[in-house]
Amino acid sequence: MNAIVRVENISKTFHLSRKQQKIEQTNNPKKIAVDHLSFEAYQGEIYGLLGPNGAGKTTTLRCISTLMRPDEGNIFINENSVMESENEVRKTIAFLTSDLKLENFFTPNYLFDYFAKLYGMNDIDTRQRKALLFSKFGIDKFAEVKVGDLSSGMRQKVQIAISLVHDPKVIIFDEPTNGLDVLTAKIVTDYLLELKMQGKTIIISTHIFSLVEKICDRVGIIINGKLVKTGTLDSIIDKDIDLETVFFNLFLLESGAGS
Amino acid sequence: MKNILTIFKKEWDRVIRDKRLVFGIMLLPGLMIFLVYSFIGNTIESSQNNAEYQVAIVNPTDSFQSIYELIQSSATVTVESIQTSEIDAYQQMIDDGDWQLLIIFDEAIETYTGGVDKPSVEVYFNQNKSDSSGAFSLFSNALMQYETLLSYDIYGDTSSFSTIFEGTPLNESELTGNLLASLLPMLVVMFLFVGSMAVGPESIAGEKERGTIATLLITPTKRSEIALGKILSLSVLSLLSAISSFIGIILSLPKLMMAQSMDIGIYGFTDYIMLLSLMFSTVLVIVGMISIISAYAKTLKEATTLIMPLYIVTILIGLSSIMGNGANSNFFLYLVPIYNTVQTMTAILTFNPNTFIYLIITISSNLVLLLILVFVLNRMFNSEKIMFSK
Repeated sequence: MNAIVRVENISKTFHLSRKQQKIEQTNNPKKIAVDHLSFEAYQGEIYGLLGPNGAGKTTTLRCISTLMRPDEGNIFINENSVMESENEVRKTIAFLTSDLKLENFFTPNYLFDYFAKLYGMNDIDTRQRKALLFSKFGIDKFAEVKVGDLSSGMRQKVQIAISLVHDPKVIIFDEPTNGLDVLTAKIVTDYLLELKMQGKTIIISTHIFSLVEKICDRVGIIINGKLVKTGTLDSIIDKDIDLETVFFNLFLLESGAGS
Repeated sequence: MKNILTIFKKEWDRVIRDKRLVFGIMLLPGLMIFLVYSFIGNTIESSQNNAEYQVAIVNPTDSFQSIYELIQSSATVTVESIQTSEIDAYQQMIDDGDWQLLIIFDEAIETYTGGVDKPSVEVYFNQNKSDSSGAFSLFSNALMQYETLLSYDIYGDTSSFSTIFEGTPLNESELTGNLLASLLPMLVVMFLFVGSMAVGPESIAGEKERGTIATLLITPTKRSEIALGKILSLSVLSLLSAISSFIGIILSLPKLMMAQSMDIGIYGFTDYIMLLSLMFSTVLVIVGMISIISAYAKTLKEATTLIMPLYIVTILIGLSSIMGNGANSNFFLYLVPIYNTVQTMTAILTFNPNTFIYLIITISSNLVLLLILVFVLNRMFNSEKIMFSK
């Protein structure tokens, strides 16, 4: 099977300011966020990056989504390199994260049309796509309400709908259920499974074990910027040991080795 | 190109669809300037028209009265004849600001026929009070004429030459042009900057702070298209804001200058087109510079703080129109941003024969600078360190 997303040995180091060094309680002006990390994601699967806060999940996803460039290694989406064909990559991916927001002043309707134009969609496709996504997430009734006046749950739904405006092949979702109420979280996870059934490639990052167990086909455990284990859920967990225990054992091992 | 228009339209809609912003950016500046400048003009005018000079004279003479009555003044002048015994009391009143002027003529002022003991004229006024100084200035002229008159009676015509005042006939257009050229360039550059400040930082630093620019950067839109779309849109909005201020100043200027007859109709259609194109090329540069500072800043507040020194420098450059005597004739100086705008505007307003050359150099130089600024902004939008720094 051909990999849709190929992450090849990427590394990313950040330079810390004095203020950041104080916060991180370190004298080292460099922080290795991602350390020679590789994995692949295939068509019609959900790949989960599991790790604690600060492990490098978000940085990895930002590199895949072209918001950051890896210092070393390369990433290919549909055989397009994020280093050389950024715009081709951007046409085929959606990136969802709590860091990305919509302008409060505009309505979902306006923003949907705006982003559809930036993705080069014609009016007919935009209308059809909008009808589908707005109805899926129950946005229809709020289409003309300014984003700033929507509830946080509805705002999140609008964000998801707009990021999927161009019907992307690859969906990258940083902490998909973070900050969502249980009802919205259910709608989102159900929709991710639906997208998977449609043949989309989905990469999520999370620290919620139950979410990984519920929706992910394969998982990569990331600790201190390194991918310490990857594979199908069945290959990672044993009969007697659940995912949580596997994760903590690996975490203790890596932290110990690190210190 | 399509994406530039899409971004242009969104930035435009962000302001135009918000009634409060439209009022605050497009209407309020012109209205405020008109009201404030008209108020200042009216206040100065009424303070001069309402001035009352109370003058006390000891030993007044008829000939002196016939002189000061002929001198024209907008102030109301009341002259009182007083006795020598009252001098101290009037001096005290002048010190207290209750009286404006005291003139003490020697009793022998008109009987002097020459010799050592010249009669004296004492003038007492309060130089800390503007009305007292005004009265002094007015009556000083009258006293000089009075002295000439009395000297003629004693010595005859003592003048060694007669002065004939001749010169270029009064040219209303040139006069108005020079008056406008001394003020307008600085004000227009200020208005362009203030207009850009009202919309620029919010569109870039604000979006960066709120995380909305990342949503845009994830689309396949080229960074240069984002930069150009934003700069063009913000420039048009800033220009509209500056035009509002411009109209405000043009309407209130005659009042401020107390020249009710000042006719701005001396400028033709071509002059206004030149002014507009000059203003637009300048606003592109200003918005470009503000955009770069905004992209560098982490927050909207930081952007506003960082822009202030640039604003102060702009005002200082704008002052060159007040200090200079017409447009600078050194062509190379028209390559310097902002300064070239001030000088070219001076040239347009004063009907300088080289205006068109100055305008071409200025606009070309501004457009080249704009390309450089777009290139820098494009690089900044590509820099993860700048766009995602916390």
